[in-house]
Amino acid sequence: MSLNMDLQAFNKRILPVQGRLFRLAQMFLRNREEAEDAIQDVFLRLWTNRQQLESYQSVEALAVQMTKNLCLDRLKSHHKQKTSHETDMIALQAADVSPYRQVENSDSAGLMHRLIGELPEQQKLVLHLRDVEEYTLEEIEEVTGLSNANIRTILSRARQKLRENYLKAENYGTGY
Amino acid sequence: MALDIEKLLEKYYDGETSLEEERALKQFFQGGQVPEHLQSHAAQFGYFANARKEQPSLSFNHELALMLDPPRQGPVRRLGTWLLRIAAGLALLIIGFGAGWLFQSKSEKGAALAALSGEKTGEIAEMKKVLAFEQMNNTSASERIQAVNHSYEIPDADRDITQLLINTLNFDPNVNVRLAACQALAHFAGEAEVKEALIQSLAIQTDPNIQISLIEALVAIKEKRAVDQFQQLARNQEVLDVVRLKATEGLNRLNADV
Repeated sequence: MSLNMDLQAFNKRILPVQGRLFRLAQMFLRNREEAEDAIQDVFLRLWTNRQQLESYQSVEALAVQMTKNLCLDRLKSHHKQKTSHETDMIALQAADVSPYRQVENSDSAGLMHRLIGELPEQQKLVLHLRDVEEYTLEEIEEVTGLSNANIRTILSRARQKLRENYLKAENYGTGY
Repeated sequence: MALDIEKLLEKYYDGETSLEEERALKQFFQGGQVPEHLQSHAAQFGYFANARKEQPSLSFNHELALMLDPPRQGPVRRLGTWLLRIAAGLALLIIGFGAGWLFQSKSEKGAALAALSGEKTGEIAEMKKVLAFEQMNNTSASERIQAVNHSYEIPDADRDITQLLINTLNFDPNVNVRLAACQALAHFAGEAEVKEALIQSLAIQTDPNIQISLIEALVAIKEKRAVDQFQQLARNQEVLDVVRLKATEGLNRLNADV
């Protein structure tokens, strides 16, 4: 019975964060299915360690950290795979993209998604947490362990870099 | 307005805007009135606002629920079935006790054996009630067998009881009850009228089991008066061979004892 309560309490604490974790994973992995797979993994890990969750001040911050680490791990192993089966992977990814996705990828949102993905790891994390998820600086601090001033600096750099790259891409595309 | 936005943008790129100011920027760039020279910022803010609406697919939610369910089926389910097992066990126990209690109170009311703790007359009265001839259609064979077996527990049985058992032996419709009565009577075979009744009963019993039991009981008490009955049985072609053999054997033993 107490375990049943556990599941309820767990769902209550974790499920509201699901969307956020998904978007974060999607930002890192740039693939819907992989993002879902990754956060499923995160949920499973959180669930198996649910007894320890009580000792964390913010389960959300923990879940965000876990998602980030998991995604980076997956990207690393993907990268290794990619170098050995590069052509296969490209073919697979192309087959994976739905017509809808293809259209979306060609518009500015798709471009933005790609440009954010190309930012350095820390920059894209902070930018995502702030500009997409609207985290307060304190919340970002909790997740990243960075100082307030540091976060502002990284945020500023990320925003400028994104704009710069966007303009570059757009100009390039329109032949400026 | 445009000036404000430009100032905000500057702050934004410096990483100095508050969440509220950033929300104002998003709102502004999603509205339709973005001046030409600021248009290049729109994609970014539009993207942020839209990205925030992204949600995992419905099938994912379903999968997640399924995924979190198996752990529940693991430890939690096991506990559930544990509890269920215990509950089922308790329920069975309670039903058992309840049924026993019901049965007992019913048979007390309907006049059965129960009166284990009652005084002797009460016990006999109970027995009589169960074994009474007119009750035979209302009581079950097992109730009557129990009543018969109950007679063993009565320390000093009197005529009433032996008469009751004799009646049962001769008239009970159920062969098993008659057999039980026969065995019970063997305990009281010391009484003269019981001996007599056993001999007489042998003449009217047709069930081989009872015939054999009676022969054995009579041989055991060395009842010479049974010799005639034994001879009749041994000669009777309608009686089973085993019974005739038993009767012959009994005859020999009774005669040998002379």
